[in-house]
Amino acid sequence: MMDSDIDMDVDVQMQDAAGDEQLTAVLSEDHPDAVGNSNGNEDGDLDLDVDLGNDMKPGSSGIADNKSSVPVSLTTSNIDQLDQWIEHITKCQILSEDDVTKLCKMAVDVLQFEQNVQPVNVPVTICGDVHGQFHDLIELFKIGGPCPDTNYLFMGDYVDRGYYSVETVSYLVAMKVRYPNRITILRGNHESRQITQVYGFYDECLRKYGSANVWKMFTDLFDYFPITALVDNQIFCLHGGLSPMIETIDQVRDLNRIQEVPHEGPMCDLLWSDPDDRGGWGISPRGAGFTFGQDISEQFNHTNNLSLIARAHQLVMEGFAWSHQQNVITIFSAPNYCYRCGNQAAIMEVDENHNRQLLQYDPSIRPGEPTVSRKTPDYFL
Amino acid sequence: MERIVQQTDLDALSCKMAAVSKGYLPSKELQENVCGFSDYKTIHLEYFKSIMKNLGRRAQGQINRSLQSSFPVMNYGTYLRTISIDMVLHDYISNHNDDGFIQIVNLGCGSDLRMIPLLSIYPNMSYIDIDYEPTIKLKGNLLGNSEFFGKVLPADRYRLLSCDLSKHDEVINLLKEVTDLTKPTIFITECALCYLKDDDAQLLINSLISTYRKAGLWISYDPIGGGGEGPDGKDDKNDRFGKIMQSNLRETRSLEMPTLLKYRNKDSYSSRFKQLPDVNIDVRIQNLWEYFTKNISDEEKQRLKGLQFLDEIEELQVMQSHYVLLSAQW
Repeated sequence: MMDSDIDMDVDVQMQDAAGDEQLTAVLSEDHPDAVGNSNGNEDGDLDLDVDLGNDMKPGSSGIADNKSSVPVSLTTSNIDQLDQWIEHITKCQILSEDDVTKLCKMAVDVLQFEQNVQPVNVPVTICGDVHGQFHDLIELFKIGGPCPDTNYLFMGDYVDRGYYSVETVSYLVAMKVRYPNRITILRGNHESRQITQVYGFYDECLRKYGSANVWKMFTDLFDYFPITALVDNQIFCLHGGLSPMIETIDQVRDLNRIQEVPHEGPMCDLLWSDPDDRGGWGISPRGAGFTFGQDISEQFNHTNNLSLIARAHQLVMEGFAWSHQQNVITIFSAPNYCYRCGNQAAIMEVDENHNRQLLQYDPSIRPGEPTVSRKTPDYFL
Repeated sequence: MERIVQQTDLDALSCKMAAVSKGYLPSKELQENVCGFSDYKTIHLEYFKSIMKNLGRRAQGQINRSLQSSFPVMNYGTYLRTISIDMVLHDYISNHNDDGFIQIVNLGCGSDLRMIPLLSIYPNMSYIDIDYEPTIKLKGNLLGNSEFFGKVLPADRYRLLSCDLSKHDEVINLLKEVTDLTKPTIFITECALCYLKDDDAQLLINSLISTYRKAGLWISYDPIGGGGEGPDGKDDKNDRFGKIMQSNLRETRSLEMPTLLKYRNKDSYSSRFKQLPDVNIDVRIQNLWEYFTKNISDEEKQRLKGLQFLDEIEELQVMQSHYVLLSAQW
């Protein structure tokens, strides 16, 4: 009766039939009432901290242990291997753990040389959150045109929530290594060790690989992702929004980005903030970052000679939303977010002459995905 | 179909336990200080432990998993659903407690444990839980065979009745035997009407209100399909939430919600409670996003924010705009 509802790749934790004690353990944990202390906030939900131990520390995967001191170019055999991997992942199949290791090591050597404010040329197609909706990512490339013929700039949030975070991030990273000048992948607030433990990527890695190794490698790799991009010196692209500690783009260049996303400060804000109808800076309804008003966006664009801030981060029902009198655009590229929100997705093409075109699209029909393996999205029943 | 609907109780239960284990429930400000509930967590943990022993491994695994990966957006929703019903109950009871005697009938009660704090606070209250037979049997066993529940649950004022809600005449006949038709009576349908066929639900509503016409309150919590009228009150034909929900539930678990797209907005949902011309009835309805923004204090919102990192405020809005809390008083 409920069979259809049970995942095929049934839980790792039930294998030892110790369900009862585990539950009690989960439930009897004490969760003290909130104290409204934003620094203490995250600790409450990271139940996994207990089990993680020292080998979960940043860098423990070793993918960056032997990184190159100079940029490396791809060899023919690298290219062959990458093409094979890309072809494999396109079928929504995961790479082996060994291949993920190789891929992440190669990716570190590409991403470490990118800048905090990565310069990008037009024409380029700018995309928002994908969130593990792999089939919709493939649809995105159909709508926008295949990479590398079309240049792409992704503004973060590749993992969590959707059921195919592993495939999604493997694909984008493989494309990045294969076509480093054709695709830019920024870091989103979900490309973080903490957030992925709450929102699904960690669990998915455990389920699909039987250990946390792949999660460790990818989250170590996320530390190298650039945090913003600048399209032709005119469009400032980032995942979240502005920070009260950042007035100029040069200040972003001065940050040390190779670290876990901090709980506060400029790097955190760039990945977490949202534009708001109210002017000035405001407290974010989320756990981190700020809200910023039109006055702030106008000032920032004026100071830095920008025409637009392009960002992602927020679900918008049409897939894109202008705000602050066209000083800011939000782009969201996960259609029917979490398989239940019913929103459209969008991407923004910017051509050689800086003409912008927004392309909207709906969820792909998922032919390769048998109904039985699909979980029901959560509802209140 | 019956069995599939019964299974939804496991969803509600695991959501409830997730919200309890993360600290969303109980709310000190609302459930403890206003409603006067105590031992909320202990009561729920106790029940939960014993129901888990009675479940098969698959169901256990399912619950286990949803507990371990409980998303903030779901915990907020469970919190809102629970709190909003508790608060409407509290308001009505405090206004009618002087009448001497209040009856509560929870239609499609599932594993809900509200009766325990309520019965212990109000010595003049009787409480009736109604659901499908297997659900009632299980609940009866778990409560009856427990020393703990023997102490906290006043058995003389609590009844468990098994009945199929789609048979309104059977429901009425059962209730007539154990209730006082002249006393104020509260009916609760928490995700119950949504599983009934349109006619069956309407007959249930009409016949119960007519039978207990002297004074009463109906509290109903359900999803609404959206579209027609959007979350902001404006016409929103692009709202596909209900359609997607219907196909998701149908495809992955064969669960049907026959009226989800018919009573798709607040007005049409309310209209079901206004079908009796001779009963003077005051119907109020809010979606749960409105409830969250208007009825929950800043302090309480701050407390919730401290429990888990809520990244998904827009998603919370989309979802909660598609659940309503109705209170119809006559």
